[in-house]
Amino acid sequence: MTTRIEVLASPEDGRAKTLEKTLKRQGKTAQVRVVDVYTSQHPAAANDGFESSLANPVTQTIVPLSSRQKPGSSDEKEKDSGVRRKDDYGLNFDWALEIGFLPGVTDNVGHTAEELLSLTRHSGAGRNPSKDQAEWIPEQVRDDKSAVYSSKLYLIKGDLERSDIEALSQSLANTLIQRTTIKSAADFKTDGGMETIVPKVALRAQDIECAKKIDLNNLSDDELMEISQKGIRDTAGFYRGPLGLPLVYMKAIQEHYNDKTITDIELETIAQTWSEHCKHTIFASPIDNVSEGLYKGYIKRATKEIRELKGENDICVSVFSDNAGGIIFDENYLITDKVETHNSPSALDPFGGAITGIVGVNRDCIGFGQGAKPVINRYGFCLADPRTSPEYYRDKNCTIPVLSPETIMKGVIDGVEAGGNQSGIPTPQGFVTFDDRFVGKPLVFVGTIGLIPREINGKPGHVKKANPGDKIVVAGGRVGRDGIHGATFSSVALDEGSPATAVQIGDPITQKKMSDAIIKEIRGYGWYSAITDNGAGGMSSSIGEMAESSGGFHVELDKVPLKYPGMAPWEIWISESQERMTMAVPEENVEKLIAHFAKRGVEATVVGTYTDTGRAHITWHGETIMDMEMDFLHDGNPETPLKTTFTRGGEAEPDVNEPADHTQTLLDLLGRLNICSKEFISTQYDHNVQGSAVMGPLQGPGRVYAETSITRPLLSSNKGVVLSQGLFPRYSDIDTAAMAAAGLDLAVRNAVAAGVDLNQLALLDNFCWCSSDEPERLGQLKRAVETIYDMAVKYETPFISGKDSMFNDFKGFDADGQPVKISAPPTLLVSSIGVIPDVERSIDLAPKAVGDLVYLLGATKDECGASEYYDHLGHLGNNVPETDSHQNLRLYRLYGRAARDRLIASAYALNYGGLGMALAKKAIAAQMGMDIDLSSLCHCHSDRSDSEVEESFQPSNGKDPSTAQQSCSARDDTLRTDKLLYSESTGRILVTIAPQDKAAFEKNFKGYEHCTMIGHIAYGNKLNIKNILEVELNKLDEVYKRTLEDY
Amino acid sequence: MTAKVLVLAGYGLNCEEETLHGFEHAGLSGQIRHINDLIDSPKELDEIQILAIPGGFSYGDDTGAGNAYAQKLKLALWEPLQKFIARDTLTIGICNGCQILTNLGLNPPTGTPYGDRKIAVTYNETARYQCRWIDLKITSTSPWLNGIERMHIPVAHGEGRFMMSDETLKTLQDNGQIAAQYIKPDDTPANGEFPYNPNGSLNDIAAITDETGRILTIMPHPERGMFTSQRDDYMQIKDTARREGKPLPETTGGMALFHNAAQYFEVAQKKTA
Repeated sequence: MTTRIEVLASPEDGRAKTLEKTLKRQGKTAQVRVVDVYTSQHPAAANDGFESSLANPVTQTIVPLSSRQKPGSSDEKEKDSGVRRKDDYGLNFDWALEIGFLPGVTDNVGHTAEELLSLTRHSGAGRNPSKDQAEWIPEQVRDDKSAVYSSKLYLIKGDLERSDIEALSQSLANTLIQRTTIKSAADFKTDGGMETIVPKVALRAQDIECAKKIDLNNLSDDELMEISQKGIRDTAGFYRGPLGLPLVYMKAIQEHYNDKTITDIELETIAQTWSEHCKHTIFASPIDNVSEGLYKGYIKRATKEIRELKGENDICVSVFSDNAGGIIFDENYLITDKVETHNSPSALDPFGGAITGIVGVNRDCIGFGQGAKPVINRYGFCLADPRTSPEYYRDKNCTIPVLSPETIMKGVIDGVEAGGNQSGIPTPQGFVTFDDRFVGKPLVFVGTIGLIPREINGKPGHVKKANPGDKIVVAGGRVGRDGIHGATFSSVALDEGSPATAVQIGDPITQKKMSDAIIKEIRGYGWYSAITDNGAGGMSSSIGEMAESSGGFHVELDKVPLKYPGMAPWEIWISESQERMTMAVPEENVEKLIAHFAKRGVEATVVGTYTDTGRAHITWHGETIMDMEMDFLHDGNPETPLKTTFTRGGEAEPDVNEPADHTQTLLDLLGRLNICSKEFISTQYDHNVQGSAVMGPLQGPGRVYAETSITRPLLSSNKGVVLSQGLFPRYSDIDTAAMAAAGLDLAVRNAVAAGVDLNQLALLDNFCWCSSDEPERLGQLKRAVETIYDMAVKYETPFISGKDSMFNDFKGFDADGQPVKISAPPTLLVSSIGVIPDVERSIDLAPKAVGDLVYLLGATKDECGASEYYDHLGHLGNNVPETDSHQNLRLYRLYGRAARDRLIASAYALNYGGLGMALAKKAIAAQMGMDIDLSSLCHCHSDRSDSEVEESFQPSNGKDPSTAQQSCSARDDTLRTDKLLYSESTGRILVTIAPQDKAAFEKNFKGYEHCTMIGHIAYGNKLNIKNILEVELNKLDEVYKRTLEDY
Repeated sequence: MTAKVLVLAGYGLNCEEETLHGFEHAGLSGQIRHINDLIDSPKELDEIQILAIPGGFSYGDDTGAGNAYAQKLKLALWEPLQKFIARDTLTIGICNGCQILTNLGLNPPTGTPYGDRKIAVTYNETARYQCRWIDLKITSTSPWLNGIERMHIPVAHGEGRFMMSDETLKTLQDNGQIAAQYIKPDDTPANGEFPYNPNGSLNDIAAITDETGRILTIMPHPERGMFTSQRDDYMQIKDTARREGKPLPETTGGMALFHNAAQYFEVAQKKTA
């Protein structure tokens, strides 16, 4: 018996209204009604108690079933047919569109309905549910029959064609994970309503191939690569999906197994463990003359050298060895940080990719040391222009289009929203960067900051170790087929063979229950000796990694709880089903640990034992299906030395005319995607949950979308966590060294500008490269890595964590079926995290008062190469900003002193669009006018004395600062106005100060030649740049906010 | 003896720590309780004076925000809850807690028994989660809101739109049960205008009380606007204070609710003493 319950929402329903508006924007007028549909095969689903638990009587009505029963049904409660007539809805409609999930896809609404079903059926017949605790735990009673499946039905009235409904369906559903049904009113009538669909996973147990044996001997190189690229072949002839291993690895496995066969699960495990995604082979391999490889030779070495140099003042506690990096917050706590990418899954299912990304990196935090509490989320998206519709396909016949940039943008934004908001973690920190080469493979960055006591139960909070004899306990969600081959799949370029099973949807509430139980309770009880998360590679990675410290493991794979029966052992082992943590638990604690999880509605199961046998051993119903040396598994991958070449890119500097209308140019740039407001994202992301917000994502009364945030993670302390980041993907078109340097400098400069001391700052590196099997791309990589080594050491800002994603290439076909390869520009994201001793010292970007003085700190050079300005004009140019870390360091130290003395009223670190955009954003943020005079910035003044500066302006009384007029046109190195405004030279900060702080401020910068007063905050509502442009504030405001306001 | 607070947790509620912090800062003592633990020992409700259901995302907002958690409370704890609210106690539901209490029917229009759902808190008109600062006009004699006329605190919700029949609205109005309404910064009514009214709520309603005023259901978050450093205009405030050489107050608007709760029981205690 199947029950289909339909809950009709009122016509005022916000979801319906929003759809109507969307249609209206496309020129269609329609009325939409939303029906929430629940389908279940459980007999109790037909009870009124369940039905009424699903509907709010004020705004929703249960759509009654027509009296017409399914032929042959005698049961009065039979609702099997789900037959409904149009009349049953009490309204008129022309179209019905239903969207539900495909079998096996995580259905969170369905799960909650299932819990309601469990609640209502156990509370019936006079039973007191409170006495019946065990029955309350849905995981304990969940089986195939108790499942509830959700779907949404849209009833639409209006003059619309089927094609309109199909277009609507496409915008609402992703056919990779969802099914859609469209019916006209006539069909609806004929069919007696929508079909009742039960999307149950049906895997037949007899199809399980348990530990298929593979003989690698005598296979040719081509045959080995066929296995690597297509996967192991089932008896039925199907390929299981790529292993993604290079030939040298395949040959090493072949050699190791030359005298015996290898099982499918053994080969899959090696593929997971040796994958680029997990092993980071490109960063680990010898490269040119650097035998240690890029990671040890540069990134890790930088941190080591900085820590030695800083000695007692070292802020690092745990670097590169755990799921996140940890630095000192105060005498009692550490803060941790980790930034991940989830690019490949997000290209196929943007929502699913992003939500699993954010809840996944939350688990990295929960899996740091003995478990850190997630306190802040970060996000970052590199996307193609959402206003364009480029036509690319995954297949030659042009039947599988790539998702549109708009669909990807909306999906990834929604995914982080759902994951972050539902987990109760504030998401104040992020960015969006646009470049059309992100069309096939967007970059989706997600990060989580954690807070953890430095000491837990008398032991250092960041230390953990699985001991031989500890039981392997897995807690959280169940295992399904989702996410199979995620690790190997993200290590290869995206093409038509990319597996749909790699896609998954997160379930933040299951994770929240698990996270609360661990961080807020069990951690304090000291019941586990080690914990880590299940991410890429699932249990094969988490158990494998933890077993490195004990020296081996034994797993009984048949003990793992499954979402549905019928999975093969190798699938269970590498499945990336979400919301699971793996723990090492001393035997005496196992029972109470599992019982406590159960009380919190979380399922936990013993699946094996950590050993010291040196073996990775797995059984399936008692039979050994994997038995490997731990040494071979973790260190058996042969070295693959890499060779690089490098050629600088770029064109000749273009011969551009100075803009005839400077106002228009300023406005054009202000509206560009990389510069305009992304407020619509910030307001969707809960950025003040936990009560910890200090400096948010929208700054000043004019709400400017900011690059830096400050959070107070402990309500009992005034200490703050400062977060920021920097990246300039387009600079790679000229020189990846400049790209990397500018990114690192901005990450540091943003944080410094906000008031953090340089010596309290740490960095994270995320490399998103492309075609990393080509010497030229590797040359670009090596150059970028060398550069950030130099800069980090110079700034004494250690790297504490990092990640790389090396193949961000889309391989597909254009509209004519011609093969195309679109590579994302080589991108380094540098994220910064620092501690500010008192949040009262924090500095935002919004000017505070009329009469305040405006200073530009740092040198402006002729550096428009790869800038927003040149890109706007259709040029790339050659003069990409070069970063002078020596000069910058001098400024940051001086600035730090001024910030400590609270001499800075507002600060903005210049970035995309240079000084012009910084001025505009400051005016918008403050909703105040500005009088600016750039003449003093000309290079001819670089040798002036400080007294001259002081004499040259008297602006605080409201007079025009015109006394600064000096001739600068005579000098060759004078910058033209457009260059001065839009050059993206790094190392610059635009500040405002109170007039009464002028003397102290200038004394602070005495002897520093690039501290120049350029104007003041003015009465009135105009940004006035003397002799260049004058523009109304509301015009600036409108242009800044208009570009993305409809999203 | 000071009054004891119990803040509920579990199944995706997530503001329990900062909510308890607010009460503690106001001098009250209390504890966070997982709903399953309270179901195990419902007698705890007899020993406390203040019950708070904090914000969060219980059950992921699935089947309607607050609905599933309310169903669970109703099935497992209805009688102890009835006993609790019948005593001279205070109850507050903030954001998700507001949605839960509303789904439980604990803020019914005067004349309707507790438990009857006459009010819904449903999808924002924009059908989009909104996290932003808003202004509230307070017109209520609820002990929670004693002495407060205006508040500047944030909202953060996807389903914060109060909806009800005209009749219910009138009853609420006639009996002073509309506790807070969204206004514009210039103190004029928001009149449904976004973003001042962030969710399209009927009559700009942001909070409702039961007829005693002791149960407050409020969508905005006082606990996120109780310290000056939490405010969206903190940077401006601290800059002004520094220029004027004035000290920066530690607390702000939202803290008044927690102080009022403490005050309520202090006064009651004095009366009995």
